[in-house]
Amino acid sequence: MVEEKKDPAFRLRETKGIMSWPPYAPGTHVRESDIREKKISYTWWEPEVQYAWSTGHAMNVFLDGLKKGKIMGIKCKRCNDRILVPPRMFCEYCYGPTEEWVEVGDTGVIETYSISYLDADANRITEPILIGVIDFDGSPPHHGIMHYFGEMSKDEIKIGMKVKAVWKPESEREGAITDIKYFKPL
Amino acid sequence: MTFGEKQTNPLAKTHWRGDMQADYFYPSGLAGDKFFKHLKENDSFLATKCTKCNKVLFPARLYCEDCFNEIPDSDWIEVPASGKIKLFTVAKLDAHGDKLKDPKVIALIDIDNTDGTLLGIINSKDYDRDFTGAKVKAILRPKENREGTLKDIKYWE
Amino acid sequence: MKEVAVIGAGMTLFRRHLKETGKELSFLATKMAMEDAGIQKDDIDMVVMGSAPDAFDGIHMKGENLIDGSAATNKPYVRVFNGGGTGVFAPIAGWWHVASGVADICLVVCEEKMGNCYPHPQTAFRHIWDPILDRPLNTNLVWLFAMEYNRYMTVHNIKKEWIAEVAVKNKRNAVGHPCAQLADPNITVDDVLNSEIMAWPVNRLDISPPSDGAAALIYCNKDIVHKFTDDPIYVGGVGWGIDSTMWTNRDLYFPRYVANAAKMCYKKAGINNPTKDIDFAEPYDPFTYKELHHMEGMLLCKKGEAAKLTHEGVTQRDGDMPICPSGGLLGVGNPIAATMGQKVCELYWQLAGKAGKRQIPGDPRVGVGMAWGDIMQMATVIALRRG
Repeated sequence: MVEEKKDPAFRLRETKGIMSWPPYAPGTHVRESDIREKKISYTWWEPEVQYAWSTGHAMNVFLDGLKKGKIMGIKCKRCNDRILVPPRMFCEYCYGPTEEWVEVGDTGVIETYSISYLDADANRITEPILIGVIDFDGSPPHHGIMHYFGEMSKDEIKIGMKVKAVWKPESEREGAITDIKYFKPL
Repeated sequence: MTFGEKQTNPLAKTHWRGDMQADYFYPSGLAGDKFFKHLKENDSFLATKCTKCNKVLFPARLYCEDCFNEIPDSDWIEVPASGKIKLFTVAKLDAHGDKLKDPKVIALIDIDNTDGTLLGIINSKDYDRDFTGAKVKAILRPKENREGTLKDIKYWE
Repeated sequence: MKEVAVIGAGMTLFRRHLKETGKELSFLATKMAMEDAGIQKDDIDMVVMGSAPDAFDGIHMKGENLIDGSAATNKPYVRVFNGGGTGVFAPIAGWWHVASGVADICLVVCEEKMGNCYPHPQTAFRHIWDPILDRPLNTNLVWLFAMEYNRYMTVHNIKKEWIAEVAVKNKRNAVGHPCAQLADPNITVDDVLNSEIMAWPVNRLDISPPSDGAAALIYCNKDIVHKFTDDPIYVGGVGWGIDSTMWTNRDLYFPRYVANAAKMCYKKAGINNPTKDIDFAEPYDPFTYKELHHMEGMLLCKKGEAAKLTHEGVTQRDGDMPICPSGGLLGVGNPIAATMGQKVCELYWQLAGKAGKRQIPGDPRVGVGMAWGDIMQMATVIALRRG
């Protein structure tokens, strides 16, 4: 399949003997200002894509639990009664169906956190957002969810701090992760 | 066993609604930039000739995908903004599946003096006509309104 | 299984925005790789394309769109993708093609145009999160890395200054690289620590930039490699693996999925003692702490020791275990899949003695590259050896 072809029409640069690779960097840099000033030709497109994601049964029960002010987990008996939070229909370790619903309780410990000066759209904000992962008391170590932290300053927050959920009033809860406002120090 | 559980609450949340928000900017590329900048100032198209296989590529490209030959600036040629209809259809639904007020005639046009085609909207209300082989000309926007994108072609007639 | 050799590699400039379309970028990288190998399009039997989410380029099914520029017209072709791991996974998929015997010569191309997602690829990154549990919290992807960084730093009690030294090393290493986006010969630890805080503990100079770019690699089997070179560089081993999506249910301080993929690769490559048998490595470094995290995952040092080795200069180009001699993602740029240019093409150029100003002194014989992707899940590892 490999032949000794030397075709003059093929624009090969002479690269035999070059010992520094890549020998050149093809590509044309374009600055933000070139785009704003329309110095290059481009097409603009704003797609509209809407989704309705199936929640599945497990997430259904979880969201329903949040509306009632409870955090639900589910037990996998084959894996030493491991309690999975967020709950799912099957255990990803033993690949068997999960069995028993368990109320996990809303207290836990901060597993990790970040102090963010960026919001979701990458805009800078002056009051930082405290976000992190909560390791629930009612589930095995390193089993939790991500959520906000509140009623603490960026100098007070640390890994290992005990926290408790602050819920929205019952009338405002809609069966979403935002039914919990944030986790505060215990 | 949770897999066997039945959901009896008719108000249970079975779906979570949301959207994907993102805007896109597609640079026309090295070849496309030249092509559209030419279209902005002139009433003709640019095509590129591959000297290895002698194909005249339209729209103009940096390289021939069959020979993998990079095409030098000297092999760019000007071609008229006209062609012959190769295939066509009469569209009665819009992009969302709703009925269009007026059907649209959409055609794939063989561009004159090239081996390439372009998709275009034909300005005609003769929905029962067989457009295959019909000669058409691109009707371009007035030069002062052109942006250097495909929209500079209003339609074909 | 046949032995597979690398006979050519190429890459384009990496910048925040490039004028070329995705197809043109693939063409430019492929052309350079073909020039290096000395082959024509008809010599290539099959093509593998690696490219991260369609959401960046904004073209649905972009694998099919990029064919023309990837010399794949009328050839067997496949696109592979696993997030950031694609940069090493595409060469692994190319290896499958040649090792199995279905292709004698296989081209691997990786391309990315993150600049198409306007004004910032962050808008596409927002959709990586779970729509029910994470997105309603209005998340920013940097938070995820900041949380892992914090956990790693706290569990091992590492100073931020030592972690910042990774950015200094890599951005200085990138000075010899013609494609580099953020090379800086004068950068210091203070520059990194004083750069604006994005999400503590991540500062601006702790992160690699989004970029446009492409890279290409050409494989052939051992039977015909003598037509191209007398000193072939072979693929010694490959490994890949993924951990569960439930990242809040794992302790993030150690990437066990990297260790699993590395063990798989080392077993095939006959590497029994990674610290002694491996001469240099290119772990994935989208963030400063990630290079250290992955060094430990790749078993190149003990858990928690990577920062100390960096501080002592062991990972410099002239150290005992050079890490990211190309300048990595922090120095050269991060066009997700096209990072193959730094993680695999660089291994080949270093082993072939063709890395120019970036060449590692001595006689490196075994190099290992690694890429990481998805939500702290995917690891892909490849080992190249000389002779």
